Amino acid sequence: MSAYEYDVVVVGGGVSGITAALTLAEKGLKVALISKGDPVCCLSTGCVDVMTGEGDPWQKIGELPAGHPYVKAGDDALRDGLVFFLRIMEEQGLPYVGSLTENRPIITPIGTVKHTCLVPVTMAASDLAKSERLHVVSFKGIKDFYPSYLTNGISRSSFSVFDAGISTTLGIASRFEDEGFLGRFISWLQDTENPHDRIAVPAVLGLRDPVKVMERISKAMGRPVFEIPTLPPSIPGLRLFRALKGALQAKGGHLYWGKGVSSIERQGSEIEAVTLATAGRAARVQGRAFILATGSFVSGGLYAGRDAVRETVFGLPVFVPGERREWFHAQFFTPGHAIEKAGIVVDDCFRPAGGKLKNLYVCGSILAESEVMKNQCGHGLAIATGVAAARMCARGLA
Amino acid sequence: MFKVNPDFPGPKQAGPDAQRFRLDGERSVDEWVKLCSQCKRCEVACPYGVNVAEIILRAQLTYSSEHLSPFTAHLFANTHYLGKLGSTAAYFTNALASTSLVKGALRLLGLSTTLPLPEYRFLTLNRGRKRKGRFRAPMKVAFFHGCYLNYNRPDLGRKIRDLLSYLGCRVVMPRQTCCGLPALGNGDVDIAARFARENVKELGSWVDKGYKVLYACTSCGLTLAHDYPELLGVPGGRKVAENTYNVHEFLSNAIEDGSLAVDFGPVDMHVAYHIPCHLRALGIGYPAARIFEKIPGLKFRILDDDCCGLSGSYGFKKKNEKTSALLGQIAGDAILATGARALASDCGACKMQLAHFTGLPALDPAEVIIESLRPAPAKKHA
Amino acid sequence: MIRTDVIIIGGGATGCGIARDLALRGVPHCLVEKGDFANGATGACHGLLHSGGRYVVNDKEAASECISENAILRKIAQKCVEKTGGLFVRLPGDSKRYRDAFLKNCEEVGIATTVLSPTRALDLVPELNPAIEEAISVPDCSIDPFRLCMLNAYTSRRKGGDILIHHRVIGVVREKGVCVGVTVEDRSSSEVKEIRGKVIINASGAWGDAVARMGGSGVPMTLSKGSLIIANHRLTNLVVNRLRPPSDGDIIVPNEAVCLAGTTSVTVDDPDSIEVDPREVDLVATQAEQMIPRFGTTRLIRAYTGVRPLLKADSPDSRNISRGFRIIDHENGMISIMGGKLSTYRLMAEKTVDAVMGKFGTKARCRTAELPLDGQDELTGYPLSKRLKSIDSIVCECELVDRETVENTINSLGTGYIGDIQHRTRLGMGPCQGGFCTYRALGIMQETGRMSPTESIETLKAFLQRRFRGIRPALWGDQLREEQLVESIYLGILNMGNRP
Repeated sequence: MSAYEYDVVVVGGGVSGITAALTLAEKGLKVALISKGDPVCCLSTGCVDVMTGEGDPWQKIGELPAGHPYVKAGDDALRDGLVFFLRIMEEQGLPYVGSLTENRPIITPIGTVKHTCLVPVTMAASDLAKSERLHVVSFKGIKDFYPSYLTNGISRSSFSVFDAGISTTLGIASRFEDEGFLGRFISWLQDTENPHDRIAVPAVLGLRDPVKVMERISKAMGRPVFEIPTLPPSIPGLRLFRALKGALQAKGGHLYWGKGVSSIERQGSEIEAVTLATAGRAARVQGRAFILATGSFVSGGLYAGRDAVRETVFGLPVFVPGERREWFHAQFFTPGHAIEKAGIVVDDCFRPAGGKLKNLYVCGSILAESEVMKNQCGHGLAIATGVAAARMCARGLA
Repeated sequence: MFKVNPDFPGPKQAGPDAQRFRLDGERSVDEWVKLCSQCKRCEVACPYGVNVAEIILRAQLTYSSEHLSPFTAHLFANTHYLGKLGSTAAYFTNALASTSLVKGALRLLGLSTTLPLPEYRFLTLNRGRKRKGRFRAPMKVAFFHGCYLNYNRPDLGRKIRDLLSYLGCRVVMPRQTCCGLPALGNGDVDIAARFARENVKELGSWVDKGYKVLYACTSCGLTLAHDYPELLGVPGGRKVAENTYNVHEFLSNAIEDGSLAVDFGPVDMHVAYHIPCHLRALGIGYPAARIFEKIPGLKFRILDDDCCGLSGSYGFKKKNEKTSALLGQIAGDAILATGARALASDCGACKMQLAHFTGLPALDPAEVIIESLRPAPAKKHA
Repeated sequence: MIRTDVIIIGGGATGCGIARDLALRGVPHCLVEKGDFANGATGACHGLLHSGGRYVVNDKEAASECISENAILRKIAQKCVEKTGGLFVRLPGDSKRYRDAFLKNCEEVGIATTVLSPTRALDLVPELNPAIEEAISVPDCSIDPFRLCMLNAYTSRRKGGDILIHHRVIGVVREKGVCVGVTVEDRSSSEVKEIRGKVIINASGAWGDAVARMGGSGVPMTLSKGSLIIANHRLTNLVVNRLRPPSDGDIIVPNEAVCLAGTTSVTVDDPDSIEVDPREVDLVATQAEQMIPRFGTTRLIRAYTGVRPLLKADSPDSRNISRGFRIIDHENGMISIMGGKLSTYRLMAEKTVDAVMGKFGTKARCRTAELPLDGQDELTGYPLSKRLKSIDSIVCECELVDRETVENTINSLGTGYIGDIQHRTRLGMGPCQGGFCTYRALGIMQETGRMSPTESIETLKAFLQRRFRGIRPALWGDQLREEQLVESIYLGILNMGNRP
């Protein structure tokens, strides 16, 4: 049985959990991160949405209700968090760009435009002007990318298809790591491409150093190249995850990956330890404080029964917006089904409301009122609340 | 290996998706399911706790039970006997295995010769000293060494044995046979079950005497901790699993709770620590890294994003040769990119594969620890 | 203008059955259907080929029809029928008197039964509630209603019949009070066509009254909505029925890799606007759980509903109105075939065509019971595991449908309707309900020129909405989780939402 006591144990290895863990690790605290599996950010575009839509995301935040986690976290947590994020990504060799006061466009696989705050450098050139001609490169057999959607919406654009010998996004990205393959791709592109202003590819330009791959192609072709985020498996999402994970490991965080929490040890209003459903003998992870960052329904942090919603690790009470029949609007495309408001209500210190647990903090999309789909604020919210909860936690430990 | 082999449809399709169509009473037709190397990364990644690799493993076993297995499958399922034979005639085995005639023959039989075939040693662990350390030591451990340490690297096995006794444990090497994983990976659940029963009987008796079972090879460890009680349902398997520890987990627990006081001396090492897939699958974190943190002067970088590609016997089969080599290249490149001067990994297969694809010395984490415990050389006087 | 002898309105089992019967008797005909095949009750039923056990206690005649048709369809529709067998299970508290009447009547009617001990029943269906007191086996089967319609229509086409799906009847042409034809709108082109014939057969099921009125008469009907739920696993290999007077939720039918449980009975007014009420879902799930406990915890893929076209009676419980069928000659050139059930479609078609034959003077007799359905050779049958042989280029991962199959279907049908592909290949019928594969199928369709990219996005939106309708009433647990994932893709990554 391990007697090792961590300062903080973070449960949930997504963007909010890792951000919280990183914040604490940089303060010199001993941090453990537990995750049942890979996080939802691996399915995302890899961009950091603060509040989607054209213009200044802060203005949109100003219009949010008082109970929204952004409001609870406060402007400083978000601003500091985004700056922190940019630094960490730079350190990990996966740089991001973006203005904190103005969203920027990215192009989706069906040719629509989405506005987001921070994008990986490989998507920086997505801000195609109306007058610019675009050439789209696709790959033979790729399942979820149909370039004609893009050429239909963008005038004077064209596309060509390259046979990479494998048709999954992960497979193609892996090929781009190989020098020989990259060379062959560039030669092919040089032979087939017509003069256009920019080149777009589905986001498969390698796993480890996509900026280098993008720059090689861009240099050879003499024009900007950008990636288009794809449906899962999303390579930019995977890169983001690996960079965050690598940063935490480099700063001394201990990762316990693959097994979820099977039981809690609690003494009064303090959580003492969690045990993991490891094979053979349960592993026990002790901590002075705990952070819950297990996400919403998709990641399993919340589970909806037929009539009630439960929080799957600590069994915290969950705010639910009405009865089951009210959870979803009849129209699929409603901006924000009611169920999105479900989650954990917290006090101003990001501890579960009700005061029953003094050393547990909550961050990320598991928070009530997040309405991530409606606001399109996923990673921004994760970062802001991760930083806010971590700061509260550190203060509580001091 | 999904990212390098276009013929494998991926764990989700091979496992839960296809499972809806694998119905009782219908003959299995999914030969492609054997392409899965059982690295278990899918289970570690699955956010819903679905035992994807196990679903695929069962499908593999079903397929193998209904169809004729190739020669290589039979060969590797019996790694244990291969080891006995190979080590008894070690000199000849090693000499012959390096000749092009034998290599050609092996290729004809379906084996890959990309990697140099692992050498056998005559003085196996079985043939060496089986008890070490003070009889009345408070910490009693039964070392389950596994086939690789026994037949191919008994020197390393002895180092681990000696490290444990040096640190104050009573170490025994119980009678043991192959853990059974090669048999499972090659479609022979009967051999695996037989080995499992034998091991559980022996290890169980040591557990009853107050010993903890320790493993260094993380694949053996996963088999003992998970497959024995769950997949194979061996009676007594649960008791053994509950008392089985990774050697570094055991050591770091003991250091942290004060039962072991260790004075780690400084080293000058830069190591890339490649985490074996099966260590990740155990879910216990990376205990050797927790010890590394205590060693002054040790610079190490954890690499856990890639499978080395050998996956036990998988990469030794000609049909998987290309896949295995591609993966070895990718994992090897990641190691080289760290600038480390050596690589470390708990798993024998990882060591073999990555040594080949990086050209770097491949250490066991125990060897790194031993380096730190070496007494400092006496100062030379002018 | 199309000229023919018989016009059939309705492409459900009855309409298609009539088309095949006419084709085999050499009578020219034209079938019109506003949607795809099995658009009405046929496509929303239980998929059960009755042994007759359900009716045998209260309606021996209906049961007798069922068992005789059961034997016929097993023979002629081998690739549509999975010979699962069925059980009627008796739970503690269920009436023993009913059980005795059941056995007695089955014998009289000719339904082969075997009484099984709980142990034996649990051997056959391991997921059965261990508390059952006994089970009686019957020759129930699982049947694919869509395939059935398609194959019946295939015979018609082969013999020169016209089958016009996606053609909606907008009016009946009358001359001197006699129905002489119909005007239809081709929904893919909006073109209006006229079809003239000597007889019009109204086989439009729940829309029967509306169509009959167009012809100047009417059919008094009771529309009874029945809702069903689909569980993600094939929890049983046999049909499982409750041995008690027919009520809600007492049948579970295996179908491919899933199972269907139902049904309910709620009177409605308008067959075009029916929704599944979440309470119906809970009701059926609760009943199904009593027979197969795991039903309660298994993920539900979706709920669906259809309308039974029953002839009006004065009974307030629409379930008790006879499921027998009736042929009504309106004596104005139109004949309506009403009521009935899927299992007896062939008999209904036979009797209808017999009634109509008089007007043509031919003495050709019905041969639909003797000849196997055409076109079965090209279909993959059971066992299901055959689909695992090669797992390359899969478009629908839930149902293992590959790209080649999708492309072939698109090309051979020349269709622009995504539903057509789904019905024929099972794409989108699995747990994700087309959440991922429909995007791919539409991508393929627009890439191969079947529709423009803009159209395909519009179709995708419409599809996602329709799909959501089916999922929403049963949306909790794992299905809710999946749905949030689907939302994150379409509303998040693809940004398709209604956004200002």
